[in-house]
Amino acid sequence: MFNEIKNQFATNDVIIKRDDLYKVSVNYERVFSLIDFVGDSYNYKTLNAITCTDWIEDNHFAITYMLTTIDRRSTFMIQTMVSRENTKIKSLSQKFKQAEIMERDLAEMYGIDFVGNKNLKELSLENWVHTPPLRREFDTLEFVNNHLTFREGRDDNVDTKVEAKRLRAIKKAEKEALKKAKEEAEAKKIQEENQDGK
Amino acid sequence: METGFLQEQRTLEGDLNSKTSHKNSVDYLMNWFRSRSIFVLAYGTGCGAIEMPPTFTSRYDAERLGIRGAATPRQADVIIVSGYCSYKTLRRIIRTYEQMSNPKYLLALGSCTINGGMYWDSYNTIKKLEDYLPVDMYVSGCMPRPESILEGFIALQKDISNGKASSWQKYEDNYEFYRKNQEAVLGKTVEPSYEADWYLYDGGL
Amino acid sequence: MILLDLVLMFIIAYTFGFLYYGLYRNITARFQRRFGPPVYQSFVDSIKFFLKEDSTSHGWMFYLGPIIMMSGAVMTLFFIPLFNTGESFKGLSEYGNLFLVLYLLVLGPLGNALGVGVGGNPFGVMGVTRGLTRLFALEMPFYIAVIAIMSLSGSADITTIATEQTTMNAIIYPLLFIGALFSFIGMMGQSPFDVVGAPVEVYSGPASEFSGKFLALLMSQSAIFTFAKLVLMVDLFLGGASGFIELITKTFILFLFVIAFGSLYGRFKTPQSVDFLLKVPTIISIVGLILATWSS
Repeated sequence: MFNEIKNQFATNDVIIKRDDLYKVSVNYERVFSLIDFVGDSYNYKTLNAITCTDWIEDNHFAITYMLTTIDRRSTFMIQTMVSRENTKIKSLSQKFKQAEIMERDLAEMYGIDFVGNKNLKELSLENWVHTPPLRREFDTLEFVNNHLTFREGRDDNVDTKVEAKRLRAIKKAEKEALKKAKEEAEAKKIQEENQDGK
Repeated sequence: METGFLQEQRTLEGDLNSKTSHKNSVDYLMNWFRSRSIFVLAYGTGCGAIEMPPTFTSRYDAERLGIRGAATPRQADVIIVSGYCSYKTLRRIIRTYEQMSNPKYLLALGSCTINGGMYWDSYNTIKKLEDYLPVDMYVSGCMPRPESILEGFIALQKDISNGKASSWQKYEDNYEFYRKNQEAVLGKTVEPSYEADWYLYDGGL
Repeated sequence: MILLDLVLMFIIAYTFGFLYYGLYRNITARFQRRFGPPVYQSFVDSIKFFLKEDSTSHGWMFYLGPIIMMSGAVMTLFFIPLFNTGESFKGLSEYGNLFLVLYLLVLGPLGNALGVGVGGNPFGVMGVTRGLTRLFALEMPFYIAVIAIMSLSGSADITTIATEQTTMNAIIYPLLFIGALFSFIGMMGQSPFDVVGAPVEVYSGPASEFSGKFLALLMSQSAIFTFAKLVLMVDLFLGGASGFIELITKTFILFLFVIAFGSLYGRFKTPQSVDFLLKVPTIISIVGLILATWSS
């Protein structure tokens, strides 16, 4: 199976994660023919999920299609990289009915345009006009500080990472102070014992 | 001396019957009737809705204080905003609140309605409910147990019988202020649309 | 004199209707192992709704619905004599007989259907549809039993029927009583035939669009109507009442039975309740009718 896929779809990136979980990375042009191929030849006929990972450093999205066999024993992941800007992907909603709602979710959360999906409107947000919220350039904290008012007296709307670092530093200093005090006490004890011995 | 359950009941009711200040006896009677009969809209907006069923059923039995569920906003006196409140829910709450008839009261549960709670950095939930709707009584906690909800109700009943709970008047008087805040987060169309998308394409209803 | 009589009847029905309704809530609460509201709770609720402002407006036909219902309930009450002896508390019963009362029993729901239909609330319309569907099934066993009683006692006058019972009709013709009792449980809006106002499914049904004063009117209506129906049942099957204490005792026993029955059973769906009512109680009534005519 994997040799066939490697030859036909020009990829070397085949990972066998478990006995029943495989992952293949291919070019975007070959994704849909690969989905057809594994569906027809190896019985991976159910679309479980479409997921998206935002690799902002490499400037691409990793879209993963997860397919399952009819007996639900084995899962096949097909991954492809697409550009982050003005992303356009062919819709799978003609082949899989359930793809429609998954694509709606991705379209709303990442701003990906699925060409051919007739019902591509907001799923859980309403009238959202800002950056799609799951893109990594969307700064949640900044958005909240700009758009919403906090009750006075609540001052933990600060960066949690910085805050955690500060707290950790304080804890570390306390620990070191404790250790130092302990060492000093021990040194003192030894000194006293020595004096007694004399 | 009564003990156990009956004693609890007397304590709660004795608290309610404490001295009140009123203009005249008609005013006193009207407020008494309003405080002793509270229909709560059966609408859960967040995780706190899970604490409401035990409050109204056999274990905590809010009906002994005259607090009872109502199915439609037309018949309800109190709406409970139970927990975090996303923009999408806020639209529905505003519409439901405006459908209720005066005098109406709003009880907010949980720290999420007070200051955002654990959703303080969420892009999709509001942090201070009183900016968008007038709140009569906050019950703090995450989530408040049915005991605290009952305490909140009794405090609300006390406010009503004192004539202090008048948030609906506040909403009418400061409608521009509330509307401005609502539009700031929800856009120009505050009311939700009635259309559900599964009506519209094939395979729907 | 008759005016004073009518006013007093109204006051008695209002008071005892609300008392019974409060007791109903309290007793149901005890069945469910909780403390329950005080007895005056329903009265407080209705007064509170009178004090509320109305926020809805759907035209005059919408407001006419509760008013027709209220007048239907009050007229039913006026045509049913409270006592079978003496001159007082007879109401208008000498001017109308059982046929009129049977007609008036249906007037309320029909008027309400008109009002709710104008309101346009889908849940209200759904509740009314369920109510009318159930009503057809409810009438079947009840009418058979009542017509049998009427022909057996040879009169359509309620006072005559009530007075002529030396032993109670319920004891002489038990099958007729049982058949009518099934319908009566449905008429009182008790489980298992309470699908009309099911709060979870149709959001309190026909009343879902009414608020404020009109809801209070509906509540008073249901209290008065409950009492009127109880008195009718007592007059037809339990030998009527010669005094106030007897009336209250008999109606309360009947009422207690109905709520105990209602607390025990779950809720039928509309088709299920129609199915059941058209099969079991109707057949019981028909068998009762045949046995009664055969023996007499």
